[in-house]
Amino acid sequence: MADAREETLGFVFKRPTLASKVFNEKMILNTISILSIFLAWGLLVHFQVYRFVLFPSPGEVWEDGVNWVGTYVFWIDCFATTMRVMAGVLTAYIVAIPLGLMIGWKKVFSDLTFPRLEVLRPIPAPAYLPIAILLFPWQEASVAFIPFIDAFFPVLLNTIVGVKLIDRDYFRAARCLGSSPNQIFWHVVLPGALPSISSGCAIGMGIGWMGAVVGEMITGEWGLGYRIWESYILIRYPMIVDGMIAIGILGFASSVLIRYLTIRIIPWRKAITESLDESITK
Amino acid sequence: MSNSTAGIESQLWKFLGNVLTWTLLRRILSLVIFILLWTILVQFIGYLQLVPSPKTVFLAIFDLSVTFVLTNIGLSFFRVLGGFFLGVLIGFPVGVAIGYSRRLNHLIFPVFEMVRPIPPIAWIPLTVLFFINFESQAVFLTFYGAFFPIVYNTMGGISEVDIRLPRAAMSFGVGKKQMLWKVILPAAMPQVFTGMKLAMGITWILVVAAEMMSNKGGMGYYVWYNHTLMDYPHVVLGMGIIGLCGAICSIGVGVVGNYFTRWQRIF
Repeated sequence: MADAREETLGFVFKRPTLASKVFNEKMILNTISILSIFLAWGLLVHFQVYRFVLFPSPGEVWEDGVNWVGTYVFWIDCFATTMRVMAGVLTAYIVAIPLGLMIGWKKVFSDLTFPRLEVLRPIPAPAYLPIAILLFPWQEASVAFIPFIDAFFPVLLNTIVGVKLIDRDYFRAARCLGSSPNQIFWHVVLPGALPSISSGCAIGMGIGWMGAVVGEMITGEWGLGYRIWESYILIRYPMIVDGMIAIGILGFASSVLIRYLTIRIIPWRKAITESLDESITK
Repeated sequence: MSNSTAGIESQLWKFLGNVLTWTLLRRILSLVIFILLWTILVQFIGYLQLVPSPKTVFLAIFDLSVTFVLTNIGLSFFRVLGGFFLGVLIGFPVGVAIGYSRRLNHLIFPVFEMVRPIPPIAWIPLTVLFFINFESQAVFLTFYGAFFPIVYNTMGGISEVDIRLPRAAMSFGVGKKQMLWKVILPAAMPQVFTGMKLAMGITWILVVAAEMMSNKGGMGYYVWYNHTLMDYPHVVLGMGIIGLCGAICSIGVGVVGNYFTRWQRIF
């Protein structure tokens, strides 16, 4: 879009050299931005502004982080959290996508199932925790239930919207050409809804990480959320920041993975930006 | 005389026919099936004994201590709305600035990209370190949760504005200030409000989680407190109340959003 704007303004487009690729205004401003946040953090802690006295400094965080990554605890924590998130979120995908496709496609099915889901939808996931503890005798399952609930509704709603946004003419054309409902499902409904489903999946993954951390902080034995909470109680503050950074990196990696898979699986997906992905959830 | 009453009657039947459609009946049936399934599962599956049945939950309404619940609802609402409005007040201008100016975007956006993947819940220990009283901790958390969806959607809404609109405005000789207020902001409004709706959902998640971990009141505390007392009907009731409050907030955002995007029906 930026290029389109420049074109209309009448700029001449030059082929960029390597130097201009590295040292352009964008890169310089980005570097300033990232450096300044670390600088601000370091200075605020160093000069002990207000309550920043209690905060760990970047140096301490780095030292503790390096130590932590060296131990087996780090790897078990990462593995436990990732498994919980994946279990919850993938189950949500498996349940929500077929359900959403059917709800979006068949009016009768929608009437029969959707109101009861609408009743459950506004309840935020952490509120399910007591019930999850009751429902599942196995503690891991009750922790994984929170990301499941978190991811379920964005995926479901995006799938429904995706089916509803398919042009009605495709259905008519398919029916004119004599396709069976089965064929309509596999050749019209599913491919038509996939772009929207993929953005639902990306949102679900993001919120799923949040859910897993809540679950681990309240009940859990391993995991990054638990580690953060434990280091808070044991007054090892640099570890809190390390845990946050680890969660951030893992969450980022998983959403990059989803985006990569999206591009591979759905080549006909329109090139829309990340921000528009979020607009489809209501 | 009899003729006119017959007319009224037929109109009544017509009205009933319009209201009592198959769709409505099916929807009601859906809820009935839900409650039936819940009852049956709880009755016949052995280890679910502790899960309250719909009947006990309904009966629990009558021994609800009204003042306790109302104060908790009030506290949760205060935290959610405080954080949400702070998020709008700060996030919206930031989003506009980032979306409108490319230089500011390059300057500010990388920081957001770096901080955003950290889930807001993970900030709880640091907020406890930084803020002394619980209200400001909770409001900070809800603010943090609301901030990113609002900024991202505002920015996205502005950068996705149909390029023909600013071009048309430009050819009419519109200034930079007017361009922002009369063309770009209204065009971005639908997406701004979807961001706000998303933000509202996230603030409720955060408030419940934060309240569960401390004992400073609020609906999350109410649920967790009843969980520790093993008073499960009230846990379910608390969940229901939270859901209702969340739905009210989300509908509220939708109503305001409808006002600002009058020319199109989105919500």
